[in-house]
Amino acid sequence: MIRTVLFAAAAMLGAAIALAQAGGPHGPPPPYPLRPAYPAGDRHAPGGDGKVLFEAHCGYCHLAGGMGSNLITKQQVMMGHAPDQGLLANRSDLTADYVKAVVRNGKGAMPIQTRVDITDAELDAVARYLGKAG
Amino acid sequence: MQDRIGRDSPVKLHLPPRVSPQGFAAALKAYAGVVGKDWVMASESDRDAYSDIYAPGDAAQWAASAAVAPANVEEVRACLRLANEHKTPLWPVARGKNLGYGTAAPRMAGSIVLDLGRMNKIIDIDPKLATCVVEPGVGFFDLHDAILRGNHPLWMSVPGNGWGSVIGNALDHGIGYTPYGLHARNLCGLEVVLPDGDLLRTGMGAMSNNPAWHHFPFSYGPTFDLAFTQSNLGVVTKAGLWLQPAPEASLELIFDIPEEGDIGWVVDTIAPMKISGLIEQNVFIPSWLGKMVLKGQRHDFWDKPGAIPEWRVAELLKQYKLGYWQVALRLYGEEPVIKAKAEIVKAAMKRHLAAPPQENWWRQGDAIGQYEITMGVPSAVPLQMSDWIGGRGAHMGFSPVVPASSEHVLGQLKRSRKIIADHDVDFYASFTIGGRFANNINMLMYDRDDAPMVENMKALFNALITQTAKAGYGEYRTHLGWMDPVMDTFDFNNHALRRFDEKVKSALDPNGIIAPGKQGVWPAAYAAQRHSAPQDGAGKGGKA
Repeated sequence: MIRTVLFAAAAMLGAAIALAQAGGPHGPPPPYPLRPAYPAGDRHAPGGDGKVLFEAHCGYCHLAGGMGSNLITKQQVMMGHAPDQGLLANRSDLTADYVKAVVRNGKGAMPIQTRVDITDAELDAVARYLGKAG
Repeated sequence: MQDRIGRDSPVKLHLPPRVSPQGFAAALKAYAGVVGKDWVMASESDRDAYSDIYAPGDAAQWAASAAVAPANVEEVRACLRLANEHKTPLWPVARGKNLGYGTAAPRMAGSIVLDLGRMNKIIDIDPKLATCVVEPGVGFFDLHDAILRGNHPLWMSVPGNGWGSVIGNALDHGIGYTPYGLHARNLCGLEVVLPDGDLLRTGMGAMSNNPAWHHFPFSYGPTFDLAFTQSNLGVVTKAGLWLQPAPEASLELIFDIPEEGDIGWVVDTIAPMKISGLIEQNVFIPSWLGKMVLKGQRHDFWDKPGAIPEWRVAELLKQYKLGYWQVALRLYGEEPVIKAKAEIVKAAMKRHLAAPPQENWWRQGDAIGQYEITMGVPSAVPLQMSDWIGGRGAHMGFSPVVPASSEHVLGQLKRSRKIIADHDVDFYASFTIGGRFANNINMLMYDRDDAPMVENMKALFNALITQTAKAGYGEYRTHLGWMDPVMDTFDFNNHALRRFDEKVKSALDPNGIIAPGKQGVWPAAYAAQRHSAPQDGAGKGGKA
């Protein structure tokens, strides 16, 4: 719990450096998660691999230790849920429409994603992958 | 507001100056003929997506009319020709993640964002001579991952926010915290599309197929590379970049610096070692708030509006055993060399500070954590700062440059401290020692949905620019809304720099179609738009 909160609240570079120093009693910081390469081919074609597209396009923030994961972990813990619910891939309560709405409208610290960041077809695939609640 | 799914009021369609709805529609159709209709993005939702997510005030002040995303240099050239034909100015962005300075939004409302994010090829990585060649859409994460996948013995230099573009950050004079931390200096050999659609290669690249393009930094004759940084003279479509050879070892020395005024001796101690080359990295020295945020959110420590009072700051520093500043200094290279350097650094610091530093060694083969920004690992985690203030958090940086000596650093500290305190705002500053200069970044955090707080930040920003300029110092970079006022502060010989910039701009770009107003440089075609951002002191002369 302490570790969760520790990683969930950071600010600017000073905090990132402080996070890098946050070994000791809480263990080492999480390792760097290597993202898959962007899939080749037509980015507007439907039927992409949602997991690969999620990790490639959203992994900057939503893999373990990322900005989005840290903030969501804190929110989930405050709601009484397990810390692993901070990773979107572990969630079972997300719907595809909700995922699309957050990506295209932004939410809290999450900025709106452009259609160059992630195309509508790519977002459909990611929303299908994350939207385990339908 | 944490659970809010939403945004500003939708950004209304704001046409480019003097362009009719019919003319705009014709232009979009023409762009679609070049890039494909799916890569012309002109819906309300698209305009929102290209607005400034941290906008201080209404994002519509910097409204894009649309965005166009070319796939390659030939499409960029065709887009520029169309922009001239249809008089639709383009605002080029590499990945559009210039957070705190305007994100992807254009300076002049109605501009079309030229989004180069699709141009994301890593054309070459040369581990032997430690160079790479990349397109503007390549992000720090992309290059970092390609280096990892290729098992290349190379390190990057990354800025605080690693989400953006390698080239875009270098072109905007971004700073990192390694020996390669002056990112614009890492650029070597550019490919640039000029305002008329012509294609230029700088340096040795001016000769067809010259293999030294990305190794020798000068052109034969005048060298224009830096003229394309913080610039609206061309669209950079490819660049060579120097990388750091992965060192055999690295040692981090962490010094907690107790008192606010200690920054004077810290700078006088470190800057000479940086200038001599003993210390190679840009040394980042943040104030206490950078560590305090690890302990919780602001309201956990002070739940009243206004700045945390000094007595409470003193209590917190004592309670959490924090220094006012922290120096996390990193040495790179062969272990015996690092050890020798470390002894010199420690002896120099010991003259002022009894406590020894914390020492963290890294050696080849050791894992590197994902927050090791001083080891060139990109991270977006620093953007979590928005969570400290709460709500729909945002930030802007006030970023003057001063000579790296105690006289100038303490003067700047005292001045900005007073102005920030007068506006009842928390003080969070850092000095980054880059050698003979120090970048002083004053981080101003606000909740975008708290209108009085935003207004106070704008007033504070104006005061900082004005009073800092009166003392003789200028900013190295600024948000869209203050590009004109900051340019106004560079006043030598009746603003000779701006007069020169604009003479060149209008000569090369008579229709003013590349990024009008970028950094306060306006082409004649859009000179009437100068000071068109309401908060920048328009009508008041904007002069410091």
